[in-house]
Amino acid sequence: MVHQLLPIAAVDFNTLPQQLVLGIGIGAVYALVALGYTMVYGVLKLINFAHAEVFMLGAYTALFTAWYLGFSPQSLQALERESSWLNLLIMLLASMVICAIIGVIIERFAYRPMRSQPRIAILITAIGVSLLLQYGGALFLPVSPPPSIDERVNPYRGAYTITLSRPSDRLLGQKEELERQYQESNVAFEKQLEKEKSRFDLSPQGIALRNAKQEAERALRKVTDEIAASGRELKLPRGQMIMLGATLILMLILRHLVLYTRTGRAMRAASHDFDTASLMGISVDKIVTVTFIIGSALAGAGAMMQATFIGTPLTTFYGVSLGVKAFVAAVLGGIGNIPGAVLGAMVLAIAETLVVWADGSKWKDAIAFVILIAVLLFKPGGLLGSSKVEKV
Amino acid sequence: MKPRRMTAWTSLIALAMGIALLPACGPKTDEGGTTGGDTKTTGSTTSGASSGTSGTTSSRKAPTASGNTASGDTIKIGLVASLNGELKPWGDDCEKGARLAVEEFNAAGGVNGKKIELRIEDSASKAEQGRSATDKLIAEGCLGIIGEVASGITLQMANSCFDKGVPIVAVGATRVDITDIGSNVFRVCYTDDFQGPVMAKFAYDDLGLRKVAIMTDQAQPYSTGLSDNFRKKFVELGGEIVDEQFYRSPEDKQFGPQLQQIKEKAPVGLFLSGYFTEVGAIARQAKEAGLNVKMLGGDGWDSAELNTSGGAAIVGGFFCNHYNNEEARPEVQQFLSKWQAKYNSKPATTMGALGYDATMLVCDALKRASALDSKALTDAIEATENFPGVSGMITLKGNNGNPPKRALVVEVTSTGQKFAKAFEPGSL
Repeated sequence: MVHQLLPIAAVDFNTLPQQLVLGIGIGAVYALVALGYTMVYGVLKLINFAHAEVFMLGAYTALFTAWYLGFSPQSLQALERESSWLNLLIMLLASMVICAIIGVIIERFAYRPMRSQPRIAILITAIGVSLLLQYGGALFLPVSPPPSIDERVNPYRGAYTITLSRPSDRLLGQKEELERQYQESNVAFEKQLEKEKSRFDLSPQGIALRNAKQEAERALRKVTDEIAASGRELKLPRGQMIMLGATLILMLILRHLVLYTRTGRAMRAASHDFDTASLMGISVDKIVTVTFIIGSALAGAGAMMQATFIGTPLTTFYGVSLGVKAFVAAVLGGIGNIPGAVLGAMVLAIAETLVVWADGSKWKDAIAFVILIAVLLFKPGGLLGSSKVEKV
Repeated sequence: MKPRRMTAWTSLIALAMGIALLPACGPKTDEGGTTGGDTKTTGSTTSGASSGTSGTTSSRKAPTASGNTASGDTIKIGLVASLNGELKPWGDDCEKGARLAVEEFNAAGGVNGKKIELRIEDSASKAEQGRSATDKLIAEGCLGIIGEVASGITLQMANSCFDKGVPIVAVGATRVDITDIGSNVFRVCYTDDFQGPVMAKFAYDDLGLRKVAIMTDQAQPYSTGLSDNFRKKFVELGGEIVDEQFYRSPEDKQFGPQLQQIKEKAPVGLFLSGYFTEVGAIARQAKEAGLNVKMLGGDGWDSAELNTSGGAAIVGGFFCNHYNNEEARPEVQQFLSKWQAKYNSKPATTMGALGYDATMLVCDALKRASALDSKALTDAIEATENFPGVSGMITLKGNNGNPPKRALVVEVTSTGQKFAKAFEPGSL
């Protein structure tokens, strides 16, 4: 295949808007998790490696809540039921609350006792907590078979479609004729099927009729595809749009909280100088707890949305790869910087998407990390990070 | 405040993590230690085995090490299974099947009154861990090794077994070149150069598809091999592969960009050669992207969870499987009643039956072996002819470790799977 050797030669600018939409959707989840990394780093100067596992537990919380709401594998076979936005909201709140509690527990029992130790010790503790949750979680969480949240809990399936240019009606007449031919051949084949043993074990006459039906189907499909290709539309997957909206709202709330509230001011003070802040009467323990609550709740929100809208089965390693991507996004944007985390997440996700767009899905992760390396070579502080020279 | 030093330090960690991920990004098809040699042999075996099974005498290298000799009151054999990680459903079934077989064999008298002791180690769904588990079992004195389900893990295990001269019987590893490692490597399942062409033929003839796209999990040697075999046959039949896109399990969760690329090429079918862990989500996202295609896949789809993760989008898809619980053959029905008696359930995946078959085959070979050591066991396994397995007749003699097996195409329904069509070995 030539286009695999020359990835750039295959780009199709008609699909670019759609790919950008998808990239932004992926970036939304990266951003929610990256915010957690960046906040904890901003206050404690600690890379909270257990953050990805908090994300994983959030996905499981969403799963259990969905089961509790009646969308468990057992009940689903018995009844077909409609979901509503309320179910999603309950799942979201449950994930956020549980994650916040888990985050606080981790901070209280794993990080706080280590706070006076050298930073490398607390970093190793974070990795330890991460591994503990990955492997320990498998002992009591359902992992076999890996469960996934049933899509029926989400009433907002599918996508919004925006028509950019209408398909031409030149071929519509032809399509009608082909449709009629297809229906005829289909009826003939279905009639023959009544005399056959099975749909896939046919007599020579059945095979002839089947081939005729397939021929008609292909001709119809060809015209249908041609008609579809003559127009352009933009599909906005509802799930991803909800994620993106939620990410932006949460980011704005967070920004307001950090910049314009008393807690936020205390948080910034603690971030600036931990020891002096505590001397000035700021309860740094409380501030650290609040930071963990917010960061973990955001991870919970991201986990609930990804697990519900995207639908890969859950294991206790669910957060690992996303954790790495989100951490990289946080560093790319400038770790400790809230808009930076969102920007970094978007840059990373869009870069990945563009690689796929250029038909290089084989090299998706490699190129994303090359971009990271390139940015950090020229701006070690990240895109929005401070690069002030340290005063001694 | 020390922003500069801190950020530089963090950047360094991020870079290290990025670099650590980099080598894992290229195509990893040659996972085994037999790099280079592998790719060459793949071609030759493919041509040989796709025309049925070559009845020639074994041309594979024999291991030079002598392996283990039985000592004590029991005969040890080892099982490596994914008891943790993404492939746990298969590992669990495989373990249950193996336990069932050993229990039954021992109850029937064992090997001249000597009981078989089944040692089990976990591969945690990881190739490296599978290899160290194999090393451990061999060091403990196991005469033979059973496992694994995933081809990537089995490649590593088979290399280790070759070095130590211990026979290995793979349970569900279908990648073609695994048995090329040496004359001590066997399997009880069909190979990808059979199941790939079976799906290609089914797609071309029975479903009438002409333009098909492929999505390959490049982290799994199984998936890359199966995709190649499917493409080869489908093109040979006159079909067109309009696009191939890649993803990596288990990292990737969102497949929208790849599916969008595929959609532009307007295929009518999509061949998903990966494991069930991603296939359901891909199907769901394909539907969301407005991709109206028939979903096709290999035995990696086989899991009850496919329906929850795939939802309505996966219903109506077809994949290739090893056997079917509904089959009337006495082996199948006896196996199901034994399983029911011991575990009070049905096997959730076909790996229950394949694990049982692989273990039974090793036990049976031990009975026939001229001596109780690895060398004699290898010869006895090689001599296996018409072994009545649950998954069908297994003949290893003269087949270079790859038994000619039947493949069943099944349709995914909203409640599970439904038998569609059987392909006999050599029928393509």
